[in-house]
Amino acid sequence: MSVAATAVTLLIGLPLAWLLSHRRFPGRDLLEALVVLPLILPPTVLGYYLLLLIGRQGPIGAALAAAGIELAFTWRAAVVAAAVGSIALVIKAAQAGFESVDRRLEQAARTLGRSEWSIFWSVTLPLAWRAVLAGTVLAFCRAMGEFGITLMVAGSIPGRTQTLPLAIYDRVQANQMTEANALALIAIGVVVVLVFGVSRLARLRY
Amino acid sequence: MLALSIEKRLPGFTLAVRWETKERVAALFGPSGAGKTLTLQCLAGLLRPDRGRIVLDGRVLFDSEAGIDVPSRARRLGYVFQGYALFPHLTVGENLGFGLRGRPRAERARRVAEVVERLELGGLDRRYPRELSGGQQQRVALGRALAIDPDLVLLDEPLSALDAPLRAQLRGELGQTLREWGKATVLVTHDFAEAYRLGDRIVVYEAGRVIQSAPRSELLWQPASETVARIMGIRNILRGTVIKATPDRIQLRWRGLTLEAVNSPTRAYLPPPEAPIAFFIRPEYVRLIRKDRGAPDPDHHMNLMSGRVVAEADFGTTVALMIRLDEPGSPAQGEYDLEVEVPRLVYEILEIDRDRRWQLSIHRGSIQVLPA
Repeated sequence: MSVAATAVTLLIGLPLAWLLSHRRFPGRDLLEALVVLPLILPPTVLGYYLLLLIGRQGPIGAALAAAGIELAFTWRAAVVAAAVGSIALVIKAAQAGFESVDRRLEQAARTLGRSEWSIFWSVTLPLAWRAVLAGTVLAFCRAMGEFGITLMVAGSIPGRTQTLPLAIYDRVQANQMTEANALALIAIGVVVVLVFGVSRLARLRY
Repeated sequence: MLALSIEKRLPGFTLAVRWETKERVAALFGPSGAGKTLTLQCLAGLLRPDRGRIVLDGRVLFDSEAGIDVPSRARRLGYVFQGYALFPHLTVGENLGFGLRGRPRAERARRVAEVVERLELGGLDRRYPRELSGGQQQRVALGRALAIDPDLVLLDEPLSALDAPLRAQLRGELGQTLREWGKATVLVTHDFAEAYRLGDRIVVYEAGRVIQSAPRSELLWQPASETVARIMGIRNILRGTVIKATPDRIQLRWRGLTLEAVNSPTRAYLPPPEAPIAFFIRPEYVRLIRKDRGAPDPDHHMNLMSGRVVAEADFGTTVALMIRLDEPGSPAQGEYDLEVEVPRLVYEILEIDRDRRWQLSIHRGSIQVLPA
């Protein structure tokens, strides 16, 4: 689920980050403020508005329901929740990474006949991958730990929408400390492996 | 043939230039911040002028009125950036072939091999830019631009990233490479020696405008104004008053002396009597009159004056003498009136270190007037 959420954040986050770092357009400041909103707002508030949007009565939820796709209180909602909660991290990190790439390198590529699309893949991303990776790992961890938004839009249905933190919360509530402990250790293990692996990778030059 | 006329307004700076060149290498010369690089960026399509027109060999690259703005990637210009902007994550070979994407593999390999050979980059193609010396980086940047077979090469301060001795050597190499490839080139530099050495035409920039555009020898001997002369670093720029001007001679008064100068043959300049006039005298063209050869002869020695050496600067092979004239009044250039440059050999033969009083003469052809 966190993997799916991270994929979604990359898919939406990278183009937004490129736009924010490379283009000046009206409403850019507004967009930049909007992007960090999920980081600052209380998760339950976000979850509440998200539910209004994707719930069966909400504009998006209704449209999807008409197409036969159920969103709220399914695993898909948990993915959306995790993505919303973590996308700001990807966007901010990638934007900073893209902005740190020497503009003249991209200009050089342009005079050498490359399109903007090609420049992104052959110059900008290869030079900013470290920042993008760092943002992605943070986003993944954030997605894995997402609690408030998920609870609001996906509920906590065991085996269907119950994410790791929700499961731990449930076990603690039920006083099943051994299981809670095991789950918590799994969470720690995943994060440690990830962070360690990434720091190894980042030592590579390009 | 390149013709350019552009206007670009930026916060705190306006670029408004118009020049054209039929010469192979045009050097844009002027102080930093005069708009030279900006012009290059407009040429390359990296910056969009507010108004204007750019035509290269009959191909319109930009025309604000016709709404033409050929994108950078389609202009076929080889841009060598200041500091080179090599792709740090790619090898030399990948850098050289970067602009050849979309061409058949065999052609790509052949072109890269040709560039490697002609620019003497053999054995370096698997290295990364950070592993190269400054001179090698410069050749890779040039090679990357030449590999796409551009219609025009743009060089932004190609030598400024290098140390002085290497710079002098590479200046010659660069000139030779440009000649060998025979590519039309626009070069940006703030170093007059570089502009003169590499450029067939020199376009002088100041504060976002072009103040002179001329073949290099014309510029050297006939700067269009005092400003141009100052930017070129010409010494002994002086100010006097016109006595009489005719199409081939100008008589002027300076420091109580009457000087005679030749009027410019191409741009006869006829200021009225008593008008202020600027002129310059190249330090190496002032003659010291030998005392062992009798009195000066008016047929051979014109524009006579006398004075004493008040300071000198030793440049090794030449020595600059600062001379204060005997005329009353304050000297023209602070402590002295004229700077005179003599070869070291002359300095030793005439024992100038001991003998400080000299008579000087300046041929009328060596006094250049500067139109206001």
